[in-house]
Amino acid sequence: MEASVQEATKGFSRRAAEELSLRRGEPDWVRELRLSAWDTYESIPMPKRTDEEWRRTDIRRVPIDKVQPFTELKNKVTSQSELSSDIQSLIPTDVEISGMNVQVDSSVVFTTVEESVKSQGVIFSDLPTALQEHPDLVKKYLFGAVPVDDNKFAALNAAFWSGGTFLYVPEGVHIEVPFRSILRNQTPGASVFSRTLIVAEEEASVVLVDHWNSAEGEDLSLSCNVVEVHAEEASQVRYIQLQDWGRNMWSFNTQKGNCGQDAQLNFLNVALGAKFSRSNISGMLNGAGSLAEMLGIYFADETQHIDHLTRQEHVSPYATSDLLIKGALKDRSRTVYSGLIKVHPHAQRTDAYQSNRNLVLSRNARADTIPNLEIGANDVRCTHGATVSQVEEEYIFYLMSRGINRTEAVKLIVDGFFDEVIERVPVDEVQEFVRQAIARKIGL
Amino acid sequence: MSETPLFQVENLHAGIEGEEILKGVNLTINRGEIHALMGPNGSGKSTLAYIVAGHPNYEVFEGRVLFKGENVLELGAEERAQLGMFLAFQYPTTIPGVSMANFLRLAVNSVRGEDDGEGGKKRIAPREFRRMLREKMKMLNIDESFATRYLNEGFSGGEKKRAEILQMAMLEPEFAIMDETDSGLDIDALHTVSEGVNKLYDNNMSMLLITHYQRLLNHIKPQFVHVLMGGRIVRSGGPELAEELEAKGYDWLKEVAGAAS
Repeated sequence: MEASVQEATKGFSRRAAEELSLRRGEPDWVRELRLSAWDTYESIPMPKRTDEEWRRTDIRRVPIDKVQPFTELKNKVTSQSELSSDIQSLIPTDVEISGMNVQVDSSVVFTTVEESVKSQGVIFSDLPTALQEHPDLVKKYLFGAVPVDDNKFAALNAAFWSGGTFLYVPEGVHIEVPFRSILRNQTPGASVFSRTLIVAEEEASVVLVDHWNSAEGEDLSLSCNVVEVHAEEASQVRYIQLQDWGRNMWSFNTQKGNCGQDAQLNFLNVALGAKFSRSNISGMLNGAGSLAEMLGIYFADETQHIDHLTRQEHVSPYATSDLLIKGALKDRSRTVYSGLIKVHPHAQRTDAYQSNRNLVLSRNARADTIPNLEIGANDVRCTHGATVSQVEEEYIFYLMSRGINRTEAVKLIVDGFFDEVIERVPVDEVQEFVRQAIARKIGL
Repeated sequence: MSETPLFQVENLHAGIEGEEILKGVNLTINRGEIHALMGPNGSGKSTLAYIVAGHPNYEVFEGRVLFKGENVLELGAEERAQLGMFLAFQYPTTIPGVSMANFLRLAVNSVRGEDDGEGGKKRIAPREFRRMLREKMKMLNIDESFATRYLNEGFSGGEKKRAEILQMAMLEPEFAIMDETDSGLDIDALHTVSEGVNKLYDNNMSMLLITHYQRLLNHIKPQFVHVLMGGRIVRSGGPELAEELEAKGYDWLKEVAGAAS
């Protein structure tokens, strides 16, 4: 490695996108894509409070001009034991995995795949490697679910993505044991622009657990990630995102799943960390008879701002979407949920459900929830519900009358509140992680 | 000098939202006694139960409630339970997401308290807890699946009542108030529940049964019966009073109540 220490560039520009591409030694077509994405980014105005989707979320202080757009490529290690101890501590022990991808800032530093999985034709690697080794396959799907112009931050990701995960499961292959991806912001003040691409071919099935985490730090970091899922005919994809960034992080996430005919998509988005978090999550019911389960948990404290924007888009008939997102708020935190069920004219017999429940644990916290329906077909069943409430005094009294003190009673009730979501996710280590995170957050 | 009564209500004036419902209730229950509190609807029976348990919506205007000589009105609801009091609710609350087993483990440990180092109360070991839970559920003829169900969620009326008695059996209080525990129970369930309650009585639990029917009292036999009307106890007697009420209703006592006020 050449030991040239360069002054880290701050802020994003066309020049920086080009530089990233050159330093990574990317083929011309990839560089062209980045530059064109930058132009798209420039053409989309920065969201303002007057935009309906941003009315309750203020991003004027996003540190977009202060962070390094990318960091130097780090060398890959060849065994898990060479990873630093703080990263190792993120890997659950005694849990079987099919493969693991570890990204630190802009670089994937470790990838492993079980032989038994590889031998069935499954591809699991970082995205740059996948582009080199399977260019046609990647090209076919990249930007397929989340196009460059999906939104301002998706465009920025398209120009500056670095690292990322590619997971491809061929027709008829079922991989029950989850894959795991770890995304770590090691350098405060740096950017993390990951891109995850999951492809499940016909009748394939796969699970990916994506865990985002930070080293301690004061300098503001920026994360702008994209997750694209292609669940082809009759396949099943479960994607779990555990967002546990440090409090110096501004996090943007654009996540979209395309469901083919009879495909099943299961999302779980857990938002715990970050100073600011905006997650834009969509389930596209493109195929008849498809199913999208969109679960979410958020728990905001201190001055966190956690915003979810969801979309259940029913393009084809006989499809089901089932969204349940529950959040708790403490201290002076703020959360926003805004969700749309959109039913296209031909999507008859749609069955769509959307529910956002908020439990406000402090007088100074505030939750806004805005459910929306846009129905173009006449034979559909759509239900939605949104609540913002406090812990029921009747519940607390009942538990206290059994000897449980107030604090423990509130903990039990909050645990119970989230349990309805947690128990729907049949991955033990995820259930355990979320339960522990909630216990830590409640902290009372 | 006799020993301090287990439970005493002294000149209790109390109510809800500023309205006085109990207008000077006096009641003494000694260790080893079963009392029945009867009376028509709206006489204040449940108010008394809620006040004793410490429901935050009720207000006390005057009087004391003593348990083992201590005025519990000055204590939080959880402290009352920790002292050994229990209320089996007429309408138990449903708490979504909280499993019966998790709740009971926490409750049992809260009531037992930290290890006092003198071989007294101490936390229950998980294995011991499971054994005890199975045993009590069997005693009350409750299906084992109850343990994993959410607290009272989707329970039938009878199941809720049995769940209350299960909690009582697990917490082993010294004194329990059972508020209309018989309502919603069919004959078989009433029989099972009564048997369970009688076992707890034999194990040194005293109690106050709130009911307006004789039915429960055929299974759990009180030594004392009181009639609450218009916020006061208008008559006290032995078990024969309950039979008299069953035969004659409450109307004949109205004059007595009227005369007292």
